[in-house]
Amino acid sequence: MESSQNINFFEVLFPLLLIVFIIAVGVVLLTQQFRKNIYLQKLKQEELKNSHQTEILRHSIEVQERERKRVALDLHDELGAALSITRMHLLQAEKLHGHLSATLLEDLKNITHLTEISLTSMRRISHELMPPQLETFGLVKTLESVAEQLNKTSKVSLEINVQPSMPELKWAISLAFYRIFMELINNTLKHSGASKISIDLFGNSNIISANYDDNGTGIAAKGFGNGMGLKSIEGRVNSLGGSLIYGISKQGGFSVSLTIPFAN
Amino acid sequence: MSMSFLISVLSHLPIYVTTIYSVIIYQKLQRELKIFSWLLVITGLIQFASLLLALRGINNLPLLHLYVPSGFILMALFYARVLNGFIDVRIIWITTLIFIIYTVFNSLFFQGIFTFNSNALTVESVLVIIFSISTYMLFLTDDIKESKKDILSSLNWINSGIFIYYLSNLLIYYFGNIITGPFSQQLNLYTWVLHSFFSVVMYFCFFVGLWNHPRT
Repeated sequence: MESSQNINFFEVLFPLLLIVFIIAVGVVLLTQQFRKNIYLQKLKQEELKNSHQTEILRHSIEVQERERKRVALDLHDELGAALSITRMHLLQAEKLHGHLSATLLEDLKNITHLTEISLTSMRRISHELMPPQLETFGLVKTLESVAEQLNKTSKVSLEINVQPSMPELKWAISLAFYRIFMELINNTLKHSGASKISIDLFGNSNIISANYDDNGTGIAAKGFGNGMGLKSIEGRVNSLGGSLIYGISKQGGFSVSLTIPFAN
Repeated sequence: MSMSFLISVLSHLPIYVTTIYSVIIYQKLQRELKIFSWLLVITGLIQFASLLLALRGINNLPLLHLYVPSGFILMALFYARVLNGFIDVRIIWITTLIFIIYTVFNSLFFQGIFTFNSNALTVESVLVIIFSISTYMLFLTDDIKESKKDILSSLNWINSGIFIYYLSNLLIYYFGNIITGPFSQQLNLYTWVLHSFFSVVMYFCFFVGLWNHPRT
C-alpha cells in the first residue's frame, strides 16, 4: 500500500501519457512520410508512363513520315518515270501514225492529255506526301511557296511573318510545323470561309512558337475537338513535348498558338 | 526450483528453436528476412549467455546493456530495409544514432551495467512501437500489397510479434525499477513470467513469419 501511494500522477501517469503521445506523434509523422513518398512514386510512374506514350507516339509519327517519304519517292521516280515514257511514246506515235487516221490522232491526243493529267496529279500527290523543298530549303521557304500558290487563287490570302533572327529548325520540328500548318490551312479552306490567314513564327534557342489566325467563322463552326485533324495536330505537338492552345483570333476567327521546345 | 523460474527458463526454448530455424533456411531467405535472422542470432546468443549466467547465479544484467543497443541497430536495419523507398531511411539512422548515444550515457551515468536499464528499454520500446505501427499503416496501402506481395505475410507476422512484445513490455520496462524495487520478490517473478509469455508469443510469430518465407 505504501508503494501504491507513491504512484502519483506527475511521477508515473504523466510520463506514461507522454510516452503514448510520443508514439502517436511518431506514427503520424512516419505515416505522412509514407503517403508523401508513395504519392511521389506514383507521380514518377505516371511521368514515366507519359514519356513512354510520347515516345511511342513520336516513333509512330517518324515511321509514318518515313513511309510517306518512301511512297512519295516511289511515286515520283517509278510511276513518274513510267508515265513520262508513256507520254513520250504517245507523242512519237502521234508523229509517226497520226497521219493515217484522224480518229487515231484524236485518240492519241486524248490519251496523251490523260497521261499529262496523271503526271500532274502524281506530282501533286508526291509533293503533298513529302514536299521536296521542305528538306532542301526549310520550313520558311516552303511556307512562302505555299502562300504564293494560295495567294494566286485570290480567294484567300496567306501571310507569313517570320522573326528575322529565327534559329535553324531541326527536321522533326520543321516537318511537324509544316504538317500542322497544312492541316490548319486545309481546315480553314474547307470549313471557315475565311479570306485571310496569317502565320507568325518566332522563337529562341529554347522554344519555337507559332500563331495561326484566320478571319473565318471561328472555332465552333469548325467542329474542332472531334475530328482526326485535331488529334493529328495534338499528337504531333505532344510527340515533341510541346503545347497548343485554341482560341478566337482578333478578327473573330479561329486561332491557335503552338509552342515546341527546341531541345526536342 | 519454483514453477515460475521453470517457466522463465523454458521460455528460452522458442528463442533457440526460431534462431536455429532461421540459420538453417538463411540461404533461402530474402534480404529483409536475412537481416532479421541476424537479429535472431544475436538475440539467441545473448539470451543463451544470460541463461547460463542466471543458472550460475551471476548477475546477467550487463548482457542486457549490450543487447539493447546491438538489438536496436539490427532492428533498425530490418525496418530500414522494409521501409526503404517509402520513408527517408536517414530518419531511422539518425534515430538509431541518438538512441545508441543515449543508451551508452544511460549505462555510464544513470543506470549502471549491474542495474536493470529500464530507461533505455522504455525508449527502445517507444521507438520500436512507432516503427511497428507505421509499418502496419504502410502494409495497408495497395502499392505495398502489390510490390511486396510475396514477402508481405512473413513481414506481417514478424511485425506483429515485435508489436505485441514491445507494447506489452513497455509497461514492464516503464515500471521496471518500481517493480524491482519496493515490490515483493514474488510479484517481481510473476511479472517476469508474464514477460516470458509475451516473449514466447513474439517468437511464435517470428517462427510463423520465417516459415511463410517465399519459397520460389
